[in-house]
Order: sequence, then C-alpha cells, then structure tokens
Amino acid sequence: MIELLNVSKRFGDGVPIVALADVDLKVEAGEFVVVLGPSGSGKTTLLNMVGALDNPSEGTIIVDGVDISNATRRQLFDFRRNTVSFIFQSFNIFPGLTAAENVQFGADAAGRGDEVNPAEILAAVGLGDRVDQFPHELSGGEQQRVAIARALATGNPVMLADEPTGELDFVTGVQILELLQKQAADGRAVLVVTHNREISRVADRVVELSSGRIVSDGPPVGGKASLSELHW
Amino acid sequence: MKDWFLILRWSWRDLRKYWVKVIAIALVIGIGTGAYAGLTSTANWRRDSNVASMELLNMYDVRFELATDSSVPVGELAAAASGIEHAGWIEGTVERLIRPTQVDASTGTETVLVPGEIVGVDVTNGGPAINGWHTATGDGLTVADAGQPVVLLEEGFAFHNDLAKSGMITVSGGVELEYKNTAMTPESFIVVPENTTSFAQGTYAGVFTSLETAQRLTGFDGGVNDLILTVGAEADRDVVATEVKNAISDLGVGVNTILREDDPSYRLLFEDVENDQEFFNIFALLIFVGAVMGAFNLITRLSEAQRREIGIAMALGVAPRKIALRPLLVGAQIALLGVVFGVGVGLLIGNLMRSVLDTFLILPVWLTDFQWSLFFWVAVVGFVVPFAAAAYPVWRAVRVKPIEAIRTGHLAARGGGLAPVIKRLRLPGDTFAQLPFRNLLRAPRRAVLTALGIAAIMAVLVGFLGAIDSFLGALDRGTAMVEGSSPNRMVVSLETVLPSDHPAVAAIEEAESVEFAVPVLQIGARADGVEELDLLVEVLDLSNDMWQPALTAGSLESGVDGLILAEVAADDLGVEVGDSLSVTVPVRSGDSSFRFVEADLIVAGLHKSPIRFNAYMDDAALSLLGADGLANVVYANPGPGFTSGDVQRELFSLEAVGSVQKATATADDLDDLMAQFVGILQAVAFFVLLLAVLMAFNSASISFEERQREHATMFAYGVRVRKALRMAVIENLTIGIVATVIGFGGGLWMLWWVVNITAAETMPEIGLLVELSPATLVTVIVLGVAAVALAPLFTARRMRRMDLPGTLRVME
Repeated sequence: MIELLNVSKRFGDGVPIVALADVDLKVEAGEFVVVLGPSGSGKTTLLNMVGALDNPSEGTIIVDGVDISNATRRQLFDFRRNTVSFIFQSFNIFPGLTAAENVQFGADAAGRGDEVNPAEILAAVGLGDRVDQFPHELSGGEQQRVAIARALATGNPVMLADEPTGELDFVTGVQILELLQKQAADGRAVLVVTHNREISRVADRVVELSSGRIVSDGPPVGGKASLSELHW
Repeated sequence: MKDWFLILRWSWRDLRKYWVKVIAIALVIGIGTGAYAGLTSTANWRRDSNVASMELLNMYDVRFELATDSSVPVGELAAAASGIEHAGWIEGTVERLIRPTQVDASTGTETVLVPGEIVGVDVTNGGPAINGWHTATGDGLTVADAGQPVVLLEEGFAFHNDLAKSGMITVSGGVELEYKNTAMTPESFIVVPENTTSFAQGTYAGVFTSLETAQRLTGFDGGVNDLILTVGAEADRDVVATEVKNAISDLGVGVNTILREDDPSYRLLFEDVENDQEFFNIFALLIFVGAVMGAFNLITRLSEAQRREIGIAMALGVAPRKIALRPLLVGAQIALLGVVFGVGVGLLIGNLMRSVLDTFLILPVWLTDFQWSLFFWVAVVGFVVPFAAAAYPVWRAVRVKPIEAIRTGHLAARGGGLAPVIKRLRLPGDTFAQLPFRNLLRAPRRAVLTALGIAAIMAVLVGFLGAIDSFLGALDRGTAMVEGSSPNRMVVSLETVLPSDHPAVAAIEEAESVEFAVPVLQIGARADGVEELDLLVEVLDLSNDMWQPALTAGSLESGVDGLILAEVAADDLGVEVGDSLSVTVPVRSGDSSFRFVEADLIVAGLHKSPIRFNAYMDDAALSLLGADGLANVVYANPGPGFTSGDVQRELFSLEAVGSVQKATATADDLDDLMAQFVGILQAVAFFVLLLAVLMAFNSASISFEERQREHATMFAYGVRVRKALRMAVIENLTIGIVATVIGFGGGLWMLWWVVNITAAETMPEIGLLVELSPATLVTVIVLGVAAVALAPLFTARRMRRMDLPGTLRVME
C-alpha cells in the first residue's frame, strides 16, 4: 500500500539539514505501523511525504499504486482527496461546524458526501450522543475522535496520524489507539508517528527513526501488547 | 532599559512582518483623517479668503445709491459726506457713476450678448481706493485712460465665457471699447442681478472704466449717482450712514443706503460658506467614522493574533504592563503612520477642493493653507481610536489566566459565536456551502464590525453620488421645462415695461431671424401661505404656439384664471391645485406707476421646474393687474435657418432691448458650475472607493491568517485552493451584501436628509428630489458587493504557497 524507496529529504540551502536519509519502507493494507523516534528524528517529515504534504528531495514514494514523488500539484490534491486521510495532534477540526458537519466535511472532501451518514460514523467512535455539538463544546478526546471520524468518512485506504494521543490523557489516548487499531483491522494501512514508545507496543510493526535513518523495523520488542497492558 | 529597546525592536519586527496590512490600515486611517481635514477645511479657507480679498480691495462700509435715473454733479456726494457732523469718522469716499448697459463680447465662435453695467470712477490714481479693481497682472487703468474708450472687464464674466484677458467689446449704443484686462471687485465676487438665482457670473457683465468714459457712454456728463465710503475702527457706522443719507437727501435726490453686510455679493459669500460646508461636514464625518470603525476592527484583529504570545509572557511572569507594551506600540506606530498619511491625503483633497473653489468663486486672494488646528483634533481621534483598538484585545488577554490565553492562541480555535444558534438550520449544499456562513456567525462581532465599516463607506458613496444625481436631476428637469417644445427659445428682456403693440415689440416680432414672438409681463409677487415666498410671475398667453410650462398637476386650461407654481413652492406654501392663495402683486395705478394689492388667486397647476420662484399666469390675468397689453419680456423663437446667435445679433441692435439670451442660459451656466462641483465630489468618491477596497483587502488578508490552519487542513484533505478561495469569496460576498444593503439604506437616509433638510434650508430656491442614477446603483453594487467579495483573491498566491506541514504542526 505504501512504498518508500531510497527516500531522502533535505531542508535549506548551503549546508542542508538532512531530515531523512535513504529511507526504504513498505506498509501493507491492514497493517498498523508506528513510526517511533525522538524530536528531530524525521518521523513527521516521513508522514508528510507519505501524505503528499511535502515532496522528497530524492527517492520514490508509491502509495496505493500512485507514484507521488513526481506528481503534479493537481495530482497531489487528487491523491490527498482519494487516498490518504489525516489525523493531527491538535485535531484541526473546524470550529464553525458541528461534530456531524466536521465528519460530513471529510466525506464531502473525498466526493462521497451522499454515501456517508455522519451520525453512524460518530456512533462508531463513541460520539453518538455528541453529533450536534460544536468543537468548543467537546473535550480534547472527543475532538480527536471527531477528527478520526472525519478521516474515516473519507473512505480512503491510508490513514496517517501525527501524535494522535499527544494532547490526550492516558484513558482517552488508549481509546483513540483502539479506534486506530480497528481501522487497520478493517483493511486500512494505518501509519502513526509518535515519540511515545509505549504506544508502539500495540502496533503490528515498529519503525524506529534516528537522525533521519531507520535504525530498526520489526514487531514491537517483547511482542505485540494488548491495550489493557499499556500505561504512561 | 535594555528591555524597552528589545520591546521596541520587537514591535518594529511586527510592523515589518505585517507591512502590507500595516500600510493598508494606515492608509485607511489616513484617508479618514485626511478626508475629514480636507473636506472640512473649506469653511475656514473661504472665510479667510473672503476677508483677505475684501481687505485687499478695501470693500466699502456704506454705499449710497441714488434713485433710478437720477444723478448729481461730480463732487457733490463727496462734499455732502464730508459735511456731516461726524465727518472725522469717515476714512475715505469714492464717487461713482453706475449705469445699466448691454454688452456684446462675442468672439469668432461664440455669441455673447448680455446685460451688464458700466462702473465709472476717478482713475487718477489707477483706480478706486475703495472697492478697488484687482487685475491678475497688475495692469489696470491709468490717468492716461481717462475719457478714452478703454475699460476693464469683470473677471468672472470673462472666465465663464472663455474670453481672452484683453480684447474688444461693444456696449449699448454700438460703442466699441477696448478692454485692457479683466478685473475683480468685491461687488462682483458673486454676481446677483435681480430676479435670478445667484449664479449669474457668466450672464452679467461688469464694465469698469474711468468716470469720464462712463459719463460719455451713458450720457450722464459730469454726473455721478453712487457714493461708497469706509469708516474708521472707532466710528459708529450707522450714525455715519444716517448722516450721509440725510446730507444726500438734502441735495434733492432719492437715495438708498446699503451697508456692507447687506451687499448681495458680501452676504452670499459669507452665507454660502456655512451652507456649503454643511454638505461636506456630513460626508467628511461619515468617511471618518467609516475609516475609524474599519481601522478599529482591523487593528483589533491584528492584536488578537498576539494573544497566545501574551499568554506565554504571562506564564513566564512578565508584568502585564510590559506585556501590553509591544502590541500597544504596534498599534501606536500604525496610528502614527496613519496620521502621517492623513496629512498627505488632507493636502491632496485640499488641493482638489481649492481648484474647484477657485473656479466657483473668483477671488483675488485664496488662503488655503493646511488647517493644522483642525487636523490636529482629527489626528488625535485618528490616533487614539486605533490605539484603543490595539489596547482592547491586549487588555482582555492580560486579564485572563495565562493558560486560557495560551489555549486560545488563535481566534479560529475559539468558541462558536452565534453558530450554535443556527446549528439546526442547514443550508442547501455540502459542508463547503455551510462553512462561509458558519465562519461569519462564529465571530459575529468581527463580522458586524467589518460589515458596518464597509456599510459606512457605502453610505457615504450613496450619499455622495446620490447628491450629484439629485443636483443633476434638478438641472435636467429645469432645462427640460425651459426647453419644452421650443428648445431654442430666446428670452428678450426689454429695458422697460411697454405696450405689447409698441413699435419696439413689433420690431422684435418682425425681425428676420425670429419665427414666433410671445410678449410676456414679468412681475415680482409675494405669496403668503404657510410661509411667505417671493415669486417671479411670467404672465403670457398660455395657449401660444411656442412654449408653455410643463405641468405635473392641474391643467393649462384651468390656468387661465389661476397661478401655476413650482412643486417646491406649493409644498413650502402648503397649497395644492385648487387651493386659494393670497398673493401680493403690483397693480398699475398710472402710466408708469404701480401699487401693490393683495389678491386671492387659485392654484391652477404645478409645473416641473425645480426653481421655486418661477410662476406663471395666463395673460387673461393682466386685467386683474390693470396691465392689459403690457410686456417687459418677449419670447422669440429663431426662424428656420437662423441660430440663436443670429437672433441675438439682430435683436441686440433694436431699440428698448435690454438683453437677448437663450432661455437655457442660466441652466447652461448652472450646468457648467455643477460640472466643477461634480468633479470634486467624484474626486472624493475616489478616496471613498479606495477606502472600501482597502478595508475589504485588509479584512480578507487578516481572515486568511486567522484561518490558515483551517485552510491547511482542507488542503491536507485534498480540497483545492480554488474551492477554499470560493468559500472565502462567499463569506466576503455575504459581508459585502449585508454592508451594501445597510450602506444603501444609510446612504438613502443621508441623501434624503441632504435633499430634504440641508438643501431645503440652504438652497430653498431649488427643489431637489432624491434621485439615484443607474450608474450610481451599479457603482455601489459593483464596489460594495463585487470588490468586497473578490478581495480574498488577493490571498490566492499566499494560499498556493502555504507551508502545509508547518501550518498544520502549529500547536495550540
């Protein structure tokens, strides 16, 4: 589903800062992959390039059969609309829209507004009773669940999450991880970047980055844990 | 101290960061303060210029005008003045001979034949010491010109008729005169012949010459009929006036005393200052209010963007006053820049106003210095309001807990405003259709302030352009009425009242260039209704084949025994068609004498001319006036193949003809003057348009920054830039529509007020109607709706170049 071949990313002119160096990575549909690393390791850069928010300096990125490394601006917009959906650390849901309308936005953006019932999706993420609430009337966890529902509403096969539990308490964070696990179980490729090693314990695979390079790639150390075993 | 320098440097960096918006906001302030200073300066300029011009030419304090056709030998009037008890109070006297004449100032291309007057004075010292003659080049008459066919021509007359600074004219009796130069004198700053509106600068010629030449031209050899004098500062002018009047009466002649402030030119010059200023004050205030509201809104929004930084500083324990300093400095610097711009805009508008005033009023001295004292107070408001706009969000930010300020780092992350109110109300379409309206309702205060700021500007625009339309509409109605079925009609004024079958009248009727002629008796009358009005009644055969007044009510048949009034006159008198009206009219009591009697006349109809004093009666009414068969005016229609110039030339030479003018002459003159007035209004309208565009641009630009993360999120979901732009355009379109509707309503109200209150008080003789031309409507809609709606397109480039990862990663 996701394939990165010798991908590098450099920032700045003169003496460039290397954010990613020769990264090779494959993520299959139905996989729940956590990209782990400290600040500045390049994990968010990697996520941005997979999501076509940024382009690589070198290398090839193929997602769902589409080579986005050399795509035109228009193709990138189409790709984002039809292939990936984002979940952000700071939620980025629209404060002027209700929970249901935010979910509807995801569907509308992907061009499947008529196929989606926002209330059902919200119910699926545990917000069946918060459909008509505005973001400022929701807790942080609820807002992140709205963001996940919005991503689900797109129906896109790749879900990209950037520190999705970063602003949440432990209990809420675990609930969010459960939702993400479920998306992978439903056949989506789910790529989560985080600096929280505990989260990586519930992933199918953990890709660890350091200074822009993959230093390890495999199942969690000690085997995949259940959500009830997590603590932070 | 280092702290303060850091804060100052930091505020400068803020300015540099937002430099486009800073300049735009400062321009908004600048246009508001500058336009106010420029528009409201005219009263001071005109007062100062009037006084300086009067002083330069030493306008008289008292004038003594001998009865019509009477005169006394040169020296007797001055001697009478010098013989009074308080002669010591008199500073100077000038004897004059003033007689009516006709002036032919035709050029190769234009026929200019008008009534006028010859003013003769002693030119031994180069001209009169009182009511002097001012020539732009300084070349006046000298002692060598005494008795010679050499004159000066009144400057305003020459200007309005595009005459050269020197040339030849012909006066009554076919005498050719060389005019050496054009000149101004206080009595001609505004020319007001009897029975006309005050705009007669181009249709009445003042001819200034030596006393000897005037005497020779008018047949008053050795005579004078006018004395003007000035008195010292300590003098009791009224005592002097009474004593001199008595002394002149003792000479056995009738005399009329005119005090300086009763001189029509002087009176109108100063009266008009206040009247005209009222118009500009209204518009200036509205422009200022609109700009101030706009600036307040924009700076508030700029400052709100710093709330998160304020929260961080509070969390770090920085003292609130120090925290507040940086955003306040930014506000102060923008305000200061705005005030600087205001000086520039004020000077620019001032220059425009001056150029138009210069054309409107022919004065020798124009004092149009920038009104610093006036500007100072406007600048204070222009500074304080933006400063307060910056202070308000800062004050709010430093009062909340640091964590709240940090959490609400961005306006976009705040509560739902009024959005919850309509959450049950779903508009048709997808979420992209909902978002623009939700965004507006989310920040209602900001949306309302933005809309009101633009609405204020729209109101000014509607008021401004509507005032132009209403003035031009009145002129058009007047011209249409005067032209009627005989657009080339000429008005021939006779020098005196004559029987309709007098040979002089017959000569007009039989002139080769005249096809039809209709004798008319023009009389002054006073109508007594709700208020008293002076009327100029034209009595003519209403069934004539040449021209009749166009009626809006009543009928010409019923006019046979009644009065036809202007609509505005009927309104002011409180009468309608069919009502009886008490009118005092002159009734002939002898061959050449009249007595005034009060008669009850029926209002037979209303005509559509906007000129209030114009009234008409059928000549059947002449018997009522004891004036059967009399006329003092003849309407003459040029025959086939003849031009109005041909008629003027042929009739000008006839006996008893005082003047020959196109019936539309006054309207044409008004048209020319109005073109200048319209010019200034259009120039100011340009600034108003600029103001609206700047506010729309700024608002769109700030909105873009407030919504950057929302846009970035949309782009992350594959929403195209053009769709995001479309939403911004719809949002602005909504603001534009609301602002235009409010502004249009406000503008109409303002226009109604200007037309029905201000104009009715300051220009009662002209009946204005509230009129808006299609061009005005299109301008307002295009500007208010289209320009405001399209303003977000300015942000297209920034949207395309947005750093998506960076914007999305911003933490709250």
